[in-house]
Amino acid sequence: MIKRGLAYTFLVVGCLIAIIPFLITTLASLKTMPEIVQNVLALPESPNWGTYREAWTQGRFSRFFFNSTVVAIAVVIPSVLFSAMTGYAFARFRFRGSNALFAYLLIGLVVPLQAMVVPLFYLLREVNLLDSLWALILPQIALSMSFGTLLMRQAFASVPKDIVEASVLDGANSWQVLWQVMFPLSRPLIGTLGLLFFIWTWNEFLLPLVVNIDPTYHTLPVGILYFQQRWTSNMPLIAAGATIIFLPLILIFLIFQKQLIRGLTEGALKG
Amino acid sequence: MAGSSSSRQRRTGPWWEPYLYLLPGLIVFTLFVALPVIAAIGLSTTGWNGVSWDTATFVGADNFVRAFEEPRFWTALWHNLILIPYFVILPTILGLAPAALVHQMKLRGAGIFQAGLFLPYIMPGVLIGVVWRWMLNPVFGPVNTVLKDWGFDPPTWLADFSWALPTIGFIGAWAAYGFCYVVFVAGIQKIPTDLYDAARLDGANGWQEFMTVTLPGLRREIAVVLSVNLINALRAFDVVKATTDGGPGDSTSVLALFMMNTLDSNQAGYAISIAIVLSVVTLVLSLAMLKLFGDADD
Repeated sequence: MIKRGLAYTFLVVGCLIAIIPFLITTLASLKTMPEIVQNVLALPESPNWGTYREAWTQGRFSRFFFNSTVVAIAVVIPSVLFSAMTGYAFARFRFRGSNALFAYLLIGLVVPLQAMVVPLFYLLREVNLLDSLWALILPQIALSMSFGTLLMRQAFASVPKDIVEASVLDGANSWQVLWQVMFPLSRPLIGTLGLLFFIWTWNEFLLPLVVNIDPTYHTLPVGILYFQQRWTSNMPLIAAGATIIFLPLILIFLIFQKQLIRGLTEGALKG
Repeated sequence: MAGSSSSRQRRTGPWWEPYLYLLPGLIVFTLFVALPVIAAIGLSTTGWNGVSWDTATFVGADNFVRAFEEPRFWTALWHNLILIPYFVILPTILGLAPAALVHQMKLRGAGIFQAGLFLPYIMPGVLIGVVWRWMLNPVFGPVNTVLKDWGFDPPTWLADFSWALPTIGFIGAWAAYGFCYVVFVAGIQKIPTDLYDAARLDGANGWQEFMTVTLPGLRREIAVVLSVNLINALRAFDVVKATTDGGPGDSTSVLALFMMNTLDSNQAGYAISIAIVLSVVTLVLSLAMLKLFGDADD
């Protein structure tokens, strides 16, 4: 019994240590600076929502939030569709060079972004895409292809053959087999893949830091860095900025918790 | 198998059909991943300054030699290595111990802790840095406020020459232990229960059970967790950038940061070489890690 209690204590403490920094940060965002200095853990006299307005407008968080959202959507949808197509090609067809092409597409899992980001910068400069959302969207789709192809090939290879054959007998061509049979059948996995692409894109820092210098095209992670450098001593404002970033993530996490945890742990096991 | 009939039906389409499916993904991938990788390898052998192509003349392995002769390169690499116990070993132990304990005691309702424990893992590194930088603020940060209340005399953490790097290490461990826990919990459930029954029949106590059944059974998960954490330690950038930016002095410079600073000073070819060294070190060490733990039971 004592041992059991000890184990629970272990878990509760571990859980609290993981969550508390976020809670205290949100708490601080609702206080004034004097209140923080006086007692950092106390509740504020009345919640100071003005800080959020300040972060949202003066801190340009509305802009960063908009950019992050647009980029995430513009990355996730084509990444999922293209991954489904490449995965389908490898799972369903035998063709010359398939092994080599598959290995080629997996380069992205081996080479870290750090090694590509510098040439990528100059490539984007040559085609005049620096300081635009395209500079984030196109490379991020490309970076998604390795994991996406790997996952979708597996997913489609495990779709029962009878179902596919039946639809072929019904006169479906290969395009219809992909989008009307395979894709809907693999929906749970595709959902997980989309979620992972979303999180990876939303959290990406190095790419936007390097390719976009103009703050108009910053996403949230880069935005908060410059924000922190500029308002070093305005704790409530930084805390509000941080909360604006992690609150949507926490919401998405709470909604899709099971899928996300499974996806991220299995994704790691595959990588 | 119905292989012959299905393969005949596959042939109904033209031979180039699969290539058509590959086309969109392949084009984007080639342009924005493969091309930069090839360019990186090529440019690492030039003295390119990143501004004018005239400077992109072949210099052989000079960039690499220069890196190996530069003390700051070794300092940065050394700091990455110092981070390994914090980023790799600490969270693995912190995840493994409760996972084994929960399983051994058949704790009910342990599942609800997973979400909370896992939360830091989905957060962007920069955000983690920003949050901890204020948490550890020496003047009004919550950590030191509490420690002072309890009568301790806490260091200034990220602002202290000798504490800054270990502090970043602890932040890395904090961000990863929940992930390790979740991976281990999932792995333990796959270990056949009769192995545990057999161990108990042999009179094994909890610790022996852990050593003879749980640990070997989790070999694959441990290998994966170690290599994922190792990659994070060697590629560390976001958290460092947001907390110390390499300071105070050079006390928390890491390879990725060193590379970025080189880039800012118009030495693109050199910066790319450092990135390639970083990639190779990461690849070699993580493959070694996987080989060490993963292959042994096959």
